[in-house]
Amino acid sequence: MSTAVALDEAAEVSLFGSKAVGLGQALRDGLPVPPGVALAGAIVEAVAAGEEEAIEAVTDLVRPLGGPLAVRSSAVDEDGAEASFAGQHLTLLNVPSWEVLTDAVSEIWWSANSDSAITYRQKVGLFTRPSVGVVVQVLLDPESAGVMFTQNPISGADERIIEASWGLGEAVVAGLVIPDHFRVDRSGQILERVPGLKKIAVRTLPEGGTFEDQIAPELQEKLCLDDAQVGDLNRLADRCEQVYGPARDIEWAIADGTLYLLQCRAVTAAGGA
Amino acid sequence: MAGVPTEALKRVPLFAELTDDEAGQIARLFKVRRFRAGETVIQEGSGGAAFFVIDSGEANVFVHNEQRTTLASGDYFGEIALIDEGTRSASITAASDLVCYGVTFWDFRPLVESNGVIGWKLLQSMTRLFREAREP
Repeated sequence: MSTAVALDEAAEVSLFGSKAVGLGQALRDGLPVPPGVALAGAIVEAVAAGEEEAIEAVTDLVRPLGGPLAVRSSAVDEDGAEASFAGQHLTLLNVPSWEVLTDAVSEIWWSANSDSAITYRQKVGLFTRPSVGVVVQVLLDPESAGVMFTQNPISGADERIIEASWGLGEAVVAGLVIPDHFRVDRSGQILERVPGLKKIAVRTLPEGGTFEDQIAPELQEKLCLDDAQVGDLNRLADRCEQVYGPARDIEWAIADGTLYLLQCRAVTAAGGA
Repeated sequence: MAGVPTEALKRVPLFAELTDDEAGQIARLFKVRRFRAGETVIQEGSGGAAFFVIDSGEANVFVHNEQRTTLASGDYFGEIALIDEGTRSASITAASDLVCYGVTFWDFRPLVESNGVIGWKLLQSMTRLFREAREP
């Protein structure tokens, strides 16, 4: 069995990790996830070891994606519990191209073997050989992006809460802007639109990494979503709830006019993004 | 070809008694790891499961926040944690962009467990190092 597959073929958590399989399932369910590749733990280790055959197999699959790329860890452990290792394993946004993918994959393999990851494993009684899968996806260059709760996480009201800003969603997730705020009922009727104050947008750099782009004054308090886009988001919320169940915490982006699902998980107790 | 050069590995006292073939078996287990200038390589007091040999670049060694020495190409660190699963006894920071070869506890231990000759030679080296450390 191949251990590097198109993301929509990633189905075994024990091989690819829960993040890769979750995104693979979303693609199989017809959700608009950016295309990508899933690497099993064994091939990640082989790439880190510099094995030519493994590097070739991975680059053959990733090359058609072009660049830039988002390269994320997808922990493979006995219980497949990615959340257990949140913050321990690395995510590399904006890897410029497949040509430097080997270094990125190697860096992620070592992140699972870093002193901090090892210390964490000892602390939680998981002092076993780590295995880490990798998800490689096209990194979008979005016009706008953000988060959406399919149910109000504070009041519990049956309405969508959308927070949006210009550029990559990191500006919203990391609290770098006051995002635009929308409340939408299930029929798609917009109940509230509150413009934020969006002085910067996080964007990609051609040589890799990201930077904070200054937003023109006339756009800082202008809504970054029109009503049709809010309607698209409401329909995405419907689809995610059909597939995964109620009360979802969604990361999304709109690039070249198309809405993409980046992540969909259960709302946590704190309701944080 | 993956792995650390055998001759570099044999300069490490722990591995000095091994034949080229024996050292080669261990050398093949190493993977390249890169650090950016300023990055923490290992942290005093934290757990550790990897041993490193420096290929290029320089790294500073700190004990209790006091700089003790600078390491360069061919130097090595972390070999004790490879065996005793203990905590790091020093912090090391990349003084420049740093390229190391590293091997993890999980790769090293099965090889030693399955090869008594290598295990015995490592034990002899450990004993010699222990004796040298005790001598005035």
